[in-house]
Amino acid sequence: MKLLTRTNLNFLSISLFIFLVGLIVFYFLLRKQVDANINAELAKKESNIRSELNMAHGMEKAPQSPADKIVIVPAPADETVRAFTDTILFDERAKYYVPHRQLEFTTEINGQKFLVKIYKSLAETDSLIVRILLLLTVVVVMLIVALLILNLHTSQKAWHSFYDTLEKVSHYDLNSQQEFSLQSSDIKEFNDLNRVLTAMTDRIKNDYYNLKEYTENASHEIQTPLAVITSKLEVLLQSDKLPEKELKTITDALEASSKLSRLNKTLLLLAKIENRQFPETKEVDLKELIQNHLENFEELIETKQIQVKLPESSFPIKMNPFLADIMIANLIKNGLRHNVKGGKLEFDINEEKLIVSNSGERIQGDEEQLFNRFYKASSSDKSTGLGLAIVQKICEVSGFQVQYAYHENLHQFSIFFK
Amino acid sequence: MKILIIEDEKALSDAVVNYLTAEDYLCEAAYDYETAVEKTELYDYDCVLVDINLPGGSGLDIIRLVKKRKKSMGIIIISARNSLDDKIEGLDIGADHYLTKPFHLAELNAQLKSIHRRINFDGNNQIIINEIKILPDAHQVFVHDNLLKLTKKEYELMQFFAANKNKVITKTGLAEHLWGDYMEVADSYDFIYGHIKNLRKKLLANGCRDYIQTIYGVGYKFDTSIGN
Repeated sequence: MKLLTRTNLNFLSISLFIFLVGLIVFYFLLRKQVDANINAELAKKESNIRSELNMAHGMEKAPQSPADKIVIVPAPADETVRAFTDTILFDERAKYYVPHRQLEFTTEINGQKFLVKIYKSLAETDSLIVRILLLLTVVVVMLIVALLILNLHTSQKAWHSFYDTLEKVSHYDLNSQQEFSLQSSDIKEFNDLNRVLTAMTDRIKNDYYNLKEYTENASHEIQTPLAVITSKLEVLLQSDKLPEKELKTITDALEASSKLSRLNKTLLLLAKIENRQFPETKEVDLKELIQNHLENFEELIETKQIQVKLPESSFPIKMNPFLADIMIANLIKNGLRHNVKGGKLEFDINEEKLIVSNSGERIQGDEEQLFNRFYKASSSDKSTGLGLAIVQKICEVSGFQVQYAYHENLHQFSIFFK
Repeated sequence: MKILIIEDEKALSDAVVNYLTAEDYLCEAAYDYETAVEKTELYDYDCVLVDINLPGGSGLDIIRLVKKRKKSMGIIIISARNSLDDKIEGLDIGADHYLTKPFHLAELNAQLKSIHRRINFDGNNQIIINEIKILPDAHQVFVHDNLLKLTKKEYELMQFFAANKNKVITKTGLAEHLWGDYMEVADSYDFIYGHIKNLRKKLLANGCRDYIQTIYGVGYKFDTSIGN
């Protein structure tokens, strides 16, 4: 539930409650006041009647019917009454029952006791009360509606900056080069929130870039001592005095350092791609690239007797040429490495995608992890496990999408350009 | 050939000097920018190996300086940065090669040999090892004046052996020379073996002595003393 809805609902229910209670209390107070007024009027009439009756000395002239609002009937001598009550009388003219206030009292005329009932119609006062209450209701409802609208309007204006912030934060991407700037607001709390958020993202961004820079620097720094190890071992390898067994030991160490260096270079490359250090783009002919790269792997293709099918046509793709080169090389390498003897390696390019398919066994385990770093579907210790991670990173920074599918014994990597 | 090695990592510099001295190069080392500039001004070198990140300055500036004074000077950049921009800039201002650390000394040696040929023979050159004659510009190899029909990789192998004759060459070094960064090293060992087998067959068929020695588990050695 939106905060605005919640506050408005609360406001609405509490004001309605108070209004209803107020209305009821008001009604009774009004009623009481009106009754008091009518009572006073009836009492005045009573004293008039008493004096009139005293002067009349007889019943003949006294008004008799309810229409005249006076009823005088003889009463037992011992009865003495004076009471105000509510009653309903039939109105002959209006042809309906009308509530009346009645005053009963006993009086003595010439030693004879009479019970006198005088009435006062409540129709006018009731309709007055109803009209007052109606007017009150209209005024209060209008007030509430006006307040609600005002509240809605100001809230919407005030919350606009909050929603803007929310929107920006939810779309915030550390990797994007876009500036993270939030709309300023005239509400202090939202400004505070924006300030804190901006400070936080700045700090995170800083830390993130420091870490990336650190990775890159560390990789660089590792290359020099590795170069020392490699060259020292190679110098040692040239010594005539060493028996073959020792040479083998040195070679093993050399190979390990060479592997370390490759791994390091690959991680460095990944870091560079992530840092978007290859921003410039131009038109790249992927078919040509594929053909060039296949030459590098001709021995592998021959040994595994792999049938290569080149794309029939080519569409120029706009991307960084260096990244395109690495992406194609890695896709080919992957397609050949995880191929079977006599298998297929097929390429297909159209305007929207590049598809590289190769024969091979279904992957054991999670296909989702295929693009993760150091994920190895096979137990081959030859690969670094970074090739596809690089392909994915390149796609990410180039605005492409890479998908994997397996069907009809073919591993299929599709790269969507849009 | 006189070479100046400008590299601030002394251990690496020593190893390079050590290796190249055995190849009959005259080597000198400079460990920082100042010394390097001073030496290039005082003495005459045929080739400089230069690291880009140096204490006191950039190796690229040194290249610009020496190229101004001696156009023909051979220059090899050795850098820890495997960056395309650096490579392009380095080669743009006149460097012959760009080696990324760590590199194989055999690779460095092969590149120095090609610079040596460029400087001394101005392109018209041949490499003669006993009965073998290599014409680097034509990419041709002759044994007893018979032209061998070699594939591209076999030729590259032959030239690499010639540049590093009598040296132990590791399989890894060979693989990286032939395929660069593209092939996973471990994948390529079988292919190296295949190419070497073919090369050896073609050499022997034309009456060449069997110079290519296999050192089990290590690599190969083009041993010119064989048969002498």
